[in-house]
Amino acid sequence: MKYNLIHTTSYTYFEKVHHYHSLVCLRPQSLATQICDDFSLEISPRPAQIIERKDFFGNIVHYFSVHQPHQVLTVTAKSTVESFAQKAPDYRFDMTTLQARVHLEKIKELRGDLLQYMLPSPFITWDEEIRLFAKSCFPENRSLYEGVRNLCHRIFSEFTFMSNYTTLYTPIKTVLRERKGVCQDFSHLAIACLRSLGFAARYVSGYIETLPPPGKEKLQGTDASHAWVSVFIPEHGWCEFDPTNDMIPQERHIITAYGRDYSDVAPLKGVIFSSGRHNLSVSVDVLPLKEEIVADK
Amino acid sequence: MRLSPEMSKSHLYDTSRFIPATEKMITEVKKSLLKLYQQRIKSYDEILDAQGQVKPYWKKLFENLEKLGINELEVRNQEVINKLRENGVTYNVYGTPDEMSRPWRLDPIPFLLEKKEWDDISKGLKQRATLLDLMLKDIYGPQLLIKNGIIPAELVYDNSGFFRPCFDVKIAAEKQLLMYAADIARGPDGRMWIVDNRTQAPSGSGYAVENRSVMSKILPELTDGMFVSRLSPFFTSLHQQVIALSHKQNPCIVYLTPGSRNETYFEHAYLAASLGYTLVQGDDLMVRDGFVWLKSIEGLEKVDVIIRRVDDEWCDPLELREDSRLGVPGLLQAARSGNVCIINPPGSSVLENSALLAFMAPACRFLLNEELLLPSIATWWCGQPNELQFVLDNLPKLIVKKANRKQVFRSKFGSSLSEQALEDLKKSILQAPHEYVAQEEISLSTTPSLVNGELEPRLAAIRVFLVAHDNDYQVMQGGLTRSSAEKDRFAVSNQHGGVSKDTWIISDALPAQQERMVLNRHDFNNPHTSLPSRSAESLFWIGRYGERVMALAKLLQIIINVLQERRRFAGALKVEQLDILLQSLTHLTLTYPGFLIEDKEEMLKNPYPELQSLVYDSYKMGSVASSLTSLVNNLIAVSDKWNYDTWRVIYQIKNSLNKIKHPEKSELTKANNMQKVLEKLSNRIFTFYGIVTETMPRESGLYVLETGKLIERILSKISVLRTIFTIKNETNIENDLIELVLINHHLLVQYRQIYKSHFSLDSMLDMVLLGQNLPYSLAYQLDTLGTYVSKLPKTTQPHRLNQAEKAVLEASTKVKLADINELVSTAPDSTFRATLDKLLADVFQHISDVTNHLTDLYFTHTEIQHALLGIIENTATHEI
Repeated sequence: MKYNLIHTTSYTYFEKVHHYHSLVCLRPQSLATQICDDFSLEISPRPAQIIERKDFFGNIVHYFSVHQPHQVLTVTAKSTVESFAQKAPDYRFDMTTLQARVHLEKIKELRGDLLQYMLPSPFITWDEEIRLFAKSCFPENRSLYEGVRNLCHRIFSEFTFMSNYTTLYTPIKTVLRERKGVCQDFSHLAIACLRSLGFAARYVSGYIETLPPPGKEKLQGTDASHAWVSVFIPEHGWCEFDPTNDMIPQERHIITAYGRDYSDVAPLKGVIFSSGRHNLSVSVDVLPLKEEIVADK
Repeated sequence: MRLSPEMSKSHLYDTSRFIPATEKMITEVKKSLLKLYQQRIKSYDEILDAQGQVKPYWKKLFENLEKLGINELEVRNQEVINKLRENGVTYNVYGTPDEMSRPWRLDPIPFLLEKKEWDDISKGLKQRATLLDLMLKDIYGPQLLIKNGIIPAELVYDNSGFFRPCFDVKIAAEKQLLMYAADIARGPDGRMWIVDNRTQAPSGSGYAVENRSVMSKILPELTDGMFVSRLSPFFTSLHQQVIALSHKQNPCIVYLTPGSRNETYFEHAYLAASLGYTLVQGDDLMVRDGFVWLKSIEGLEKVDVIIRRVDDEWCDPLELREDSRLGVPGLLQAARSGNVCIINPPGSSVLENSALLAFMAPACRFLLNEELLLPSIATWWCGQPNELQFVLDNLPKLIVKKANRKQVFRSKFGSSLSEQALEDLKKSILQAPHEYVAQEEISLSTTPSLVNGELEPRLAAIRVFLVAHDNDYQVMQGGLTRSSAEKDRFAVSNQHGGVSKDTWIISDALPAQQERMVLNRHDFNNPHTSLPSRSAESLFWIGRYGERVMALAKLLQIIINVLQERRRFAGALKVEQLDILLQSLTHLTLTYPGFLIEDKEEMLKNPYPELQSLVYDSYKMGSVASSLTSLVNNLIAVSDKWNYDTWRVIYQIKNSLNKIKHPEKSELTKANNMQKVLEKLSNRIFTFYGIVTETMPRESGLYVLETGKLIERILSKISVLRTIFTIKNETNIENDLIELVLINHHLLVQYRQIYKSHFSLDSMLDMVLLGQNLPYSLAYQLDTLGTYVSKLPKTTQPHRLNQAEKAVLEASTKVKLADINELVSTAPDSTFRATLDKLLADVFQHISDVTNHLTDLYFTHTEIQHALLGIIENTATHEI
């Protein structure tokens, strides 16, 4: 599938802001499963320069600063991404969860690379309660892959998706207790579960194409940024799972960045100098390109 | 020289060995200091060599001490204490009752090392610095140490000093670790051991220099017959390195401090001032267009090099700790782009993890293909199963620490823990083994220290300093020795009351003359110094608060005099005058209701309680205590601006503040005492003014201070005049008040010379408002204020008057055009002097406006910094 992606973030401040520094992580990556070309970043007011670099995790980030007094700041990221369907791995002959853990512990070189995804990170810590929940999702005699699917299924079926219930700083254990949250909470919870059992798991930030209710036109700005998880399965390497939708990410999932948790890949981070409060609005469009348009090009 | 390694510890504890027969002859007559000291030695001591003989240079030192005599030494010790206080040498200790700074402590007995041994130690230190530099580059680079299993990955990824955003922040130089400090101490094998590392922003070198400077002033005799290496070449190298890194002839170098509440703030100001760098805080800097700029009162100045004393994680709220107010948003990107050089580069705290000490030997073999020249203290990281078991089995012999230095955890000495405490410790270790590190509790050497008038052996460690120079490191020829406050206890940290010592590297002959600062001419040819806006603001408020205290002290003194005088008449006399004066006092200090309450009979009878609170109550805004506190805080905020002479007065002003804040009960009730305190304080502030005008360069710093002083003076004098004279009183009352106001303006003598004893309002006003060449007349003050304001930098329209200048001009013109006769007149049937009131009110307003204009023009705007993590849950979109 080929998509046009438009992600607009705008801050409206109650008082004038004189200086703003920002780090943006919005550019979809080019990977085996997707190709991104035509990326553009439009910022208003216009910064003097935008610096692009690869961060520690290999994600593409942009830095800019605005030094003219402003009350509205808008960042629009536009890109075209082509994504490809993936074949689901064959996990029938995988080792069991128990064996996988022993395997990870034993292989030193592997551990070096994976360790940062196994340790606690700024937004992800766990306690006994989380570990117990995790254990209940992973039958030790089944494969790790099946365990993760089971975990995703449990989250999907037992938890309620609810916007504005949690904040970025809501602890994972509250999410577990209240069984409510958004994609970010569910991904953090899934990662915490996996790490609590000694596995390596990453946070994936990106987009998903939503489909309008049957018979209706798709409305503008109704798509959303999305988050899911990536788990290291010894036989298959990194595999992705979407606990919010209980599915294996396919063409409709577009990847922007990988990190230990949200803090590593926040789409827009900033420091402002002002005395007042602000409002934030975000709109995302994931627009599939019609085949004939693609062909015209 | 050295103890052979195989020598057992028990052997060393045999004290009889330490009094060899040869010593006896010298000391037979009277017990010498050396002899007395030797008797006190319990374990092995710095003064003795492997054979138990006193090392020759220590013998020399003891001879010098003997010549001086222990009594004189005590006297000098007191002088040392005084000198350090006068020089404002402090070390702020967290958690003390009012977070007061603690005077720096310096033991008059130095720590001695022979040059030959020192050269060997230096080699080992250089090797260690080189190794750490390579490790730093590897950890934030190819990570071969992890890939080859030399160090466990946990020591990087589970290290709170490892910062991912720093992996591509590099200095454009061979060496990344430009400054390095280590704590070394002599272990049981007679060798120096590395006990700890400081790699991000090493502290102590400034204190080492200050120690040396005080010692050579107060105890010059101690070096007789010895050649002590100089410390200055170290700083020359540092400066050369900094210049080289800037790739500029006249770089702008700033010294970034977390601020005056930081524990080693004294040193930040001291080093910045002595190296000639601008002392700044995070909000003095900003990143714009990829470069770092200093917000100075002349506008933005591009910064080339930042020497930072702010720890890694606080450097940049955008990429590191988002709640940091000590850093500069965007700083990492500026450094990454090579537009500014930060020393040491952020991220170097990764090396301050004690667990790494356990892997130094293999790392050295791997990276340098060498053996370690200096041993590290034996260290076990509990994250490995075998090591964990060893630690659990040997806990009573070990010191347990957290691997990450940042974690608040005081080292636990297994030897002094109860059974229960050991069990608890075991449990905590088992819960998170990878967080713990254990070190061998080695017995370290003792060294003579002056304790309660006697020389006692105390444990000591030396902090040594290295700076990258060309492709190698240079070691400071000396260091900061710290000895433990308690006997037999190795706790030398200043936070825990350790005492510092000067550290001497001794040669028998004059060492080949070390090169003095050899810098290119242009390195000194920088006539321009930057004044950060924040410093300018502090200087302005020093002027204002200083004068606020002075104005209040003067009026209080006048009032107390009146009260004393009135006593002779049983309080019956001069009630009206007193009432007017007291009301004026309340207006001046804005401490309403004060003496303006409705029913003031009681207050007039005994005004002392209110007067006392106006002096001593530091919680009362406007009191002497409160303004003086603000004055002192601002004085400290610009510590880098003061020379020793100024520090001496500041020290006295601080003493006054202490006296006022903590008065003795008996003092409170005596009016005399209040007079004395105020008089002393005024004298000290006058002295401060004097030193400032005599010594401060004729630059913006001085002008802004003088501006603040004059603004406050004008406002306070107007306030008094206005509250006393705008309402007409009976002539006899008014005459009394005229005399008092003349005193308030320091003009009584001058007035008498002209008008003899004839007091009239018009002559007084003529003098006080219009007097030429009278420093306290309004016209004179306004002229002077105009001059100073005009000398401040003009950034926008250099040939036009700015708002501040216009306001002063308007005020000054109004005063000069005033007609005295009109001013004293009242409307028929009225006691209100409308013209006088209008004039004074106008001038007051104009001059108040000057402060606002100056704030707009020059000072930092207090905007609060917020970190925003694009928080999606507030958004209108529907999350999936």
